[in-house]
Amino acid sequence: MNVPITAILDQILASLPLFKPEFCLTAGFICAIATALFAEQRLKNVTFTVTALSLGATIYCLFLQVPISATTGFSGMWLVDKLGTYARILISTATLLIAFFIQQRHTRQQNGDIYSMLLAATLGMHVLCSTSSWLLAFIGIEMVSIASYLLVGYFSQNKAQSEAAMKYALFGSVCAAVMLYGLSLMYGLTGNLDFKSAQHLQGLMTASEPLVTLSILFVCVGIGFKLSFVPLHLWSPDVYQGSPTAITAFLSTVPKVGAIILFTRVYQAWSSTSFYFSELATWIIVVVALASMLIGNLAALRQKDVKRLMAYSSIAHTGFLMMAIFAYQDTFRYLFFYLVAYVLMNLATFIFIDHLEQRTGSTTLRSYMGLGRKLPLLFSAFTIVAVSLIGLPPTIGFIGKLMVFSAVFDSYQDGQDTSVLLLLVVGALTAVISLFFYFRIPLYAFIRKEDDFKHLQSSSAGLLLSVGYGLVFLVLLLGLFPQLLLDLLL
Amino acid sequence: MGLLTILIFLPLLATLLILALPISVRNSYKYIALAFTLLQFALSAYMYSNFDDSLGGIHNYEGYQYVEQLPWIRLDLGTIGILEIDYFVGIDGVSLPLLVLSTLVMLMGIGASWNIQKSTKGYYALLMLLNMAVMGIFAALDFFLFYVFYEVMLLPLYFLIGIWGGDRREYAAIKFFIYTLLGSVLMLLVIVGLYFSVINPTTGAHSFNMLLMMDPANYIDGSFFGFISNYHELFGVPSRWIGFAVLFFAFAIKVPIVPLHTWLPDAHVEAPTPVSIILAGILLKIGGYGIIRVCYGIFPDIAANSNYWLALIGVISILYGAFNALAQKDLKRMIAYSSVSHMGFVLLGIASLTAEGLSGAMFQMISHGFLSAALFFLVGVLYDRVHDRYIYHFRGLASIMPKYTAYVALAFFASLGLPGFSAFIGEAFVIIGAFNAESMATGVPRWMAIGGSIGILLSAAYFLWTLQRMFFGKIRVKGGQAWQEALTDLSRREQLILFPALALALILGIMPSLVFSKINASVLQLIDLIQPYL
Repeated sequence: MNVPITAILDQILASLPLFKPEFCLTAGFICAIATALFAEQRLKNVTFTVTALSLGATIYCLFLQVPISATTGFSGMWLVDKLGTYARILISTATLLIAFFIQQRHTRQQNGDIYSMLLAATLGMHVLCSTSSWLLAFIGIEMVSIASYLLVGYFSQNKAQSEAAMKYALFGSVCAAVMLYGLSLMYGLTGNLDFKSAQHLQGLMTASEPLVTLSILFVCVGIGFKLSFVPLHLWSPDVYQGSPTAITAFLSTVPKVGAIILFTRVYQAWSSTSFYFSELATWIIVVVALASMLIGNLAALRQKDVKRLMAYSSIAHTGFLMMAIFAYQDTFRYLFFYLVAYVLMNLATFIFIDHLEQRTGSTTLRSYMGLGRKLPLLFSAFTIVAVSLIGLPPTIGFIGKLMVFSAVFDSYQDGQDTSVLLLLVVGALTAVISLFFYFRIPLYAFIRKEDDFKHLQSSSAGLLLSVGYGLVFLVLLLGLFPQLLLDLLL
Repeated sequence: MGLLTILIFLPLLATLLILALPISVRNSYKYIALAFTLLQFALSAYMYSNFDDSLGGIHNYEGYQYVEQLPWIRLDLGTIGILEIDYFVGIDGVSLPLLVLSTLVMLMGIGASWNIQKSTKGYYALLMLLNMAVMGIFAALDFFLFYVFYEVMLLPLYFLIGIWGGDRREYAAIKFFIYTLLGSVLMLLVIVGLYFSVINPTTGAHSFNMLLMMDPANYIDGSFFGFISNYHELFGVPSRWIGFAVLFFAFAIKVPIVPLHTWLPDAHVEAPTPVSIILAGILLKIGGYGIIRVCYGIFPDIAANSNYWLALIGVISILYGAFNALAQKDLKRMIAYSSVSHMGFVLLGIASLTAEGLSGAMFQMISHGFLSAALFFLVGVLYDRVHDRYIYHFRGLASIMPKYTAYVALAFFASLGLPGFSAFIGEAFVIIGAFNAESMATGVPRWMAIGGSIGILLSAAYFLWTLQRMFFGKIRVKGGQAWQEALTDLSRREQLILFPALALALILGIMPSLVFSKINASVLQLIDLIQPYL
């Protein structure tokens, strides 16, 4: 192990260009702290501007990385491939939208710090998307988690919001601890932390079954917390409901993208053998997908608060994404397409929820009663998003679903496995269940009669709402012409 | 852009126009809708007159007319292959009469909506969107395109029932939506399965093209829905049976067959009159059309072996629907159940697999289309005036509303299958077909034809009994003097809507060749497709 220091230095220097987008984020993070401390009082929105600029630069650098098909740097710790690059572009773009969301929505407070946390979380997600090492993955998860705890608690004004932040932090730390324990077991079993390496896989093949089971389950706890799949979903409804809507929009979309990419890589590396641990990984993903789809959709039926409803909806969509990971073969296009669809739909939904919260002062479904006649455009757009969330044509949600079904069916045709068929049928039938609760939004808005006259607050954030409409337009456009997006992903 | 595309997307243009116009000109919305639908009707009439009767269509690309095929979506999905979706529309003898019927019923629907006051902008926009979806369903030849139109149809209908409906509209709207969606999500899985089993011979890619799915040569050996050397089974049932059953289930909900019919009375009772007209006049036909085009076209081998059960379901629907209609006290519910019974004939005719039966089924769909539209319109007339449709609340209407009574009597007689009217031709051909099926060895026994005849007898019973209960005898209405004043006779607008429908019933009853000449080639082609598997 006597590598000369100069060789190491050379390698690090050679790897630096791969790290450019993350440098932009880091620089933005540091600048954002500085401006939040010193300049925010005199120059309003300066921190937001810095954040937006650094995210813009990040996206630009990422586009430069698109041609790279698969390279590693920093002694194999840093992995740049197309899936990771596209996912990072999606993450940065979504974060940019959310920064704008926060800037539009929370204008009064001195809130420069929130942007630096947002950037830190983004950096964490970038790490998740571009590594095959458990060590870096853990660092990434922790960066995202710690930034998210702060984000949830940052605007807390009442007891419910503080409770949400507390719950999130406690649940998160326990999960992180469990995951770390699992990782240490795994390191002990294999002697290598790179889950793609031959040594790691060999170690898992030869280790005793109970130990492998325990370590894999423990590791899945950590990822599952970020993805909020069943049975680690318990925190998400409370946190979604308790956080400010802009932060809920962030939590429901961006961290999931990062975690999905990591999980995809892990599953791909592990499922390729015919040994016990591969079988176990497949079983875990099938069971988790089924449970998340069923429990997410069924529990959503009883919700009265839109944000809570969206929490369960996002659990259900996670289940569906698990199905996409399960069927992942050599092309990531449908997986990525579904991720884009998911992010678009959720961002649009939360922009609408937030706007309505501003107008009515409430996020309950009941408060939408009879509003369809007063805000016809808003609720028409909201209905289109609901249609897309169910997965009906002509929206992006339908194309996403169709592609995942195609991939899963293909693997069914190869293997004739009943559990795969079950995935397909449950995936299709839960769409029917989801119709009930997504359509309660237009049901209340258009069909139920208003029983008392409600006074709507005036709203200032017209710009944000137009962004929401823009997203809905994309939902329809990509539903009719999915090629516009897919041709970009070569 | 071809004629068919214009026919499909004209209503979309109307929707956009209506949405763009300010609310201050809301009186113009109905005229816009009417103008666009009239244009569509003219277009479809033009297509009808230029239709080449000798071309069969069904599984034969050359047999389709007004064909347009444009590549729409091409996705390279790696090992899964290239996703090939076309914008592919065309019509043959099965779809042409239904397209003409749809434009006609749409016109009736818009005429019936003339007095709607509640948010007309949304109403006409949704109605036109529904119009587009319906045209698309009858014209689409790509399964993906078909599915998109099929689902798009549900949304406007949900809101039309949900917003403009009666007291229990919420329940009726969601019930209707859930039923149809349940069928269609499972259909999606079969579509995906078919997609993987079929190869487009010219491009080598998997395809959603329905015509390619109808040709056994395009199936991959050993694929899930493959024709030959297919050993795939699900719980012991061969996979092609599963595919057929799932597709049949999806369309049977629309027809509707017993026992999947329970959404229909609720939807009809709660829906506003124009929506009931469209529901009965067009949407039920989508079920029958889907069975012919999709189930029979793509799974001819299963169709040939399952027709006993289909015919049995048809007979059960005929009888069950008729007995239920006999027991109803709400006039609209009675007509809804009579729809179930009459659509049973369609299924019996299709399942008979004889030329007479299939032609009769097609004819019955057309005939039931405008007759049920007229019936629901007539119920709407009564409901508009006194907001009541309970059969026992009316007596002796003939002396208060003589014109109305005449139209009702005409519509009832036409519907119960009196010779000289269109329903007689449809039902008679279905029964002849079912009766001949035994000698053609298609697997449908003779007694089913007798079951159908009993259905006709029962329909005479419930229609005539209702006529007697409501219209004859001494005047006695529940609301007393106030009702007697409110029950004015038919207005000129109402007569204008009813007259063409009833005239058509008479014309087609006397000259059935107007329809038969168009569908004949397609019916024979379909039988040719299925014959080898019998």
